[in-house]
Amino acid sequence: MFCSMKNPVQRRYVIRCWIGALLVVLLTLVAALSFRVAHLRGPLMYPMATLPALPIIWVLIETGRYLAEEKDEFQRNVLVQCLLGGIGGTLALTTVWGNLEHFAQVPHLDLILIYAIFWFFAALTYPVVYRRYR
Amino acid sequence: MKNRLKVLRAERDWSQADLAERLEVSRQSVNAIETGKFDPSLPLAFKLARLFGMRIEEIFEESGQ
Repeated sequence: MFCSMKNPVQRRYVIRCWIGALLVVLLTLVAALSFRVAHLRGPLMYPMATLPALPIIWVLIETGRYLAEEKDEFQRNVLVQCLLGGIGGTLALTTVWGNLEHFAQVPHLDLILIYAIFWFFAALTYPVVYRRYR
Repeated sequence: MKNRLKVLRAERDWSQADLAERLEVSRQSVNAIETGKFDPSLPLAFKLARLFGMRIEEIFEESGQ
């Protein structure tokens, strides 16, 4: 995401994002195996189903921490604009899709995809923002 | 906001990367400020002024003035 990785705060943030992404994959796999192979039932179902969301929440907290720790105000500004792009894109898409579901009976959009959609739009915003300052 | 950063930098024979290192920001930040596409905060403007030994208003000029 960032063009310069000399900045230790950026490096730490990117590393934590990668760890978070790996944990999401790993814990999703664990949850999927628990439900599909081990046929998990009972009260354990809830914490197990929540497990893959924990690294996602952690990455969101790390994003806030990065914004608080980053001393380079320009880089902070670029990331904030990307996050706004992500939020705006996600809200727009899910609102349009919600209306389509409600009125035109299109297939249901699984809420589990929201986080991926958010980062998709944030990543899409990055080159647009960066081009403005080039 | 217009500024004289490019000239001041050239007078000292500094590259954008040199200035960025002195300011502890990225080269992209220096470029964005220099081209007038990003206005620095007051603390960064003071840091720039101190670095060049000038007052802020000798470096930056409000657009349209």
